[in-house]
Amino acid sequence: MNFDLTEEQQLIGQSARDFAKQYLEPIAVGLDQTGEYPKAVVQALAKHDFLGLLLPADVGGAAAGFVSYVEVIEDLSRYCGAVASIVNNHTIAAYTIQQWGTAEQKKQYLPAMAKGELLGGFAIFENGPMPGVGQDALVATKHDVGYVLNGKKAFVRNAGEAGVYVVFATTDPAAGAKALTAFIVPANAVGVKVGEKLETMGLKGCPVAEITFENVVLAETALLGALNQGVEISAKALAVASVAEAAQTVGIGQAAVEHAAAYAKQRVQFGKPVAVLQAIQTLLAEVATDCHLARLGVRNAASLIEDGKPFEVEAAMVKSFLVRLGPKMLIDTCQVEGGFGYSETMPLPRMFRDIAGTTLLDAPGDFPEKLIAANIG
Amino acid sequence: MPKCLVCYKWTLDEQDIKIKPDDLSLDVSRAKGKISDFDRNAIEEASLLVEKDGGAVDALTYGTTTVKQSLKDALSRGPGKVYWIADASAEKADANVTAKVLAAAIRKIGPYDLILCGEGSSDQFNQQTASRVAALLALPCVSFVSKLSVAENTVSATRKLEESQEDVTVKGPVVISVLSEINKPRIPSLKQVLGASKKPNEEIKIADLNLKPEELLPKAVCKSVKGFVMKRKNIIYKESAAADNVAKLKASLTTEGLC
Repeated sequence: MNFDLTEEQQLIGQSARDFAKQYLEPIAVGLDQTGEYPKAVVQALAKHDFLGLLLPADVGGAAAGFVSYVEVIEDLSRYCGAVASIVNNHTIAAYTIQQWGTAEQKKQYLPAMAKGELLGGFAIFENGPMPGVGQDALVATKHDVGYVLNGKKAFVRNAGEAGVYVVFATTDPAAGAKALTAFIVPANAVGVKVGEKLETMGLKGCPVAEITFENVVLAETALLGALNQGVEISAKALAVASVAEAAQTVGIGQAAVEHAAAYAKQRVQFGKPVAVLQAIQTLLAEVATDCHLARLGVRNAASLIEDGKPFEVEAAMVKSFLVRLGPKMLIDTCQVEGGFGYSETMPLPRMFRDIAGTTLLDAPGDFPEKLIAANIG
Repeated sequence: MPKCLVCYKWTLDEQDIKIKPDDLSLDVSRAKGKISDFDRNAIEEASLLVEKDGGAVDALTYGTTTVKQSLKDALSRGPGKVYWIADASAEKADANVTAKVLAAAIRKIGPYDLILCGEGSSDQFNQQTASRVAALLALPCVSFVSKLSVAENTVSATRKLEESQEDVTVKGPVVISVLSEINKPRIPSLKQVLGASKKPNEEIKIADLNLKPEELLPKAVCKSVKGFVMKRKNIIYKESAAADNVAKLKASLTTEGLC
């Protein structure tokens, strides 16, 4: 069994690291302070083919595979989790169109998404308990030409910057989520209104906002997949997205432990670097181990996705692992750096806030432990 | 439309090298390989020239069997083909051996209008490859180039020297060594990385270079490589008066021969 990445995967990872060092490192702190969308960086990502990484060559993508994708996401996240979030949310929208779109839909949207001319957004969540339920639920009503959307979507990442959204709406409010259906909605469709950008705890720079749909008329051709196939599509897409998000968590955790280790080697107390103290070594070792094991889990899940094999249980395991241990990585590394670690002049507070965004949000429709337990033995 | 050849070296990434505390020897067991930093500038410069004016870029490398790991990396940066020589002699090769092997290979695969090298390798930094190869091939050599252009068969180069700058023109073919400031090596895009596997590579067997066995023996033998660790003196001056602390500091520095 070979756990090594292929040569191409390694080179792709190296390109991502070099890109992140050159483009993300100089802006990460400023982005966290201002939350300003990094347009120039997103254009650079497109130029290096990162925005079309998963898309096939016939639509202008790099067709590099999912293992390469999580490698890229981890490397970008080491420097800036927010930019990795922009890429993730764009990619999952593109992936959904690629997997369930008609030939015409793919031709209409994917070449522009691969080139970064069109940024994608994925609008699934609502203010209610689940999509399709509640007074603000997004409802798609049958219309002469197709459908009319009315309602809201909450916590939409890339909102306001995306040129196209994959949107999930119920076609039957009485059935709620069971009648969930996916649509492709251009951002400039009449009636699409992006709300005020949400001030988030972390991952600042990746815009998050509510979107209101007021009598948004869509042609039949906007239907993505089959009628009422939304639950299946969103579950699969979110499961895939959760693996990429896990890669973000690993990247942030890895950056944190490397920073803390470097700090511990030069911080001298009582005549010795604190790195020689067993308590410090234990904290660092646990975080490094957690990152390593999580990385292997992410690559395993990614490899299964790439091979078209069932992956949902493995994805749930990685998600469950990191929900528990992701924030702990930053607690422990902050402890290593002590009072300085708590200061915003160091990167750990930003990473702390960012890792919360990659572990506490976007849980799969069903909590991961239920899926794992159902598949034991 | 020049036909360019870039010579590059596959070295260990110094960031991965650890120094053993007991004897300062180097632990390279976890060190990954990389294309030598300045050679990346050479590859980039050749690729830019050809992308601007047409022509072709080949790459050539001589190393141990690990050199095979470098091929796709090199090809993803612009060259259309890479030639590689993998031989145990590279393990202990000095600049003399390296230059002989490269020159022999160039005679076999050439001719080229422009042969580029980095200023020196990331590991040994002898800064001799370009000038030695040029001498062996009886070609002019322009070293420490910070700016380069080619028109017809004439190369115009700016050489950055310690206290001055020199503008040089020379008719090709010519060997050039480039400085790191000549350009910023590209970050290969994903398509360039994936396209590299479709480009050709060709192994040159060292036996086919007609070199005598003694030509593959280094004249300069490396006895050991040790890491350098900066040791702190950890001296704290605790006099109550600042002037006294300054005097003590000055005395310490004088003892160390620093003032």
